[in-house]
Amino acid sequence: MFDARILETGEVVLSGRLDASQTERANEVFSRISTSARVNFKDLEYISSAGLGILLMNQQRLKNAGFALKLTNLNKHIQDIFLYTGFDKIFEIEK
Amino acid sequence: MEITVRRDIASLGEIFDFIDSYASRQGLDSGVQFSIRLAVEELFTNMVKYNRSRTESGIEISLEQSASSLILRLTDFNVDAFDIRTAKEPDTAKPLGERKVGGLGIHLLKRMVDTIDYEYADGKSTVILTKNLEQT
Repeated sequence: MFDARILETGEVVLSGRLDASQTERANEVFSRISTSARVNFKDLEYISSAGLGILLMNQQRLKNAGFALKLTNLNKHIQDIFLYTGFDKIFEIEK
Repeated sequence: MEITVRRDIASLGEIFDFIDSYASRQGLDSGVQFSIRLAVEELFTNMVKYNRSRTESGIEISLEQSASSLILRLTDFNVDAFDIRTAKEPDTAKPLGERKVGGLGIHLLKRMVDTIDYEYADGKSTVILTKNLEQT
């Protein structure tokens, strides 16, 4: 199961598994973000290249408008994925 | 253990259930489980997107364990040969504005396993991934 929600504070909360079958759902939520936002990965177990694609596309869109996504609470496996793909350089990741 | 699934991205749920039940039966740690989920998803989605099967045949996935390694096989039928080992590597050092998603899946897959072998005969395309267990 995958879920993405935008809290009243503007924080985006992800949970479950963001795989290639969930990109539509993820993009539907991410496309509603129009300013800088924190994305909380606390309950996200898994992400694949399809999920990274959604993050990349939205980061590019927001950066062009002068904003950015900031990521927090990535589990160890997901941190590794960000490192292997160089995504740790294109997102600010809060420790 | 073996499963045959429909050539459709929507089959991923069924594939993850298969991997998770194998992982819990074999007592695989979360790191190995994450790696094989990712390796299988990236390879499977690549097969669904790019292999043009001339029939409605499904994709076969098998998991097998030896003393020191885990062997994953994904077999696609009635397709042309495509050896993912020859896929172009993405430039992961490019700045945000120039980054593209293409190629990242196979790049990640290569990081998740220790060896990748490929067999092709009579339209049957098999990718064999080996994950060493003692390294995790």
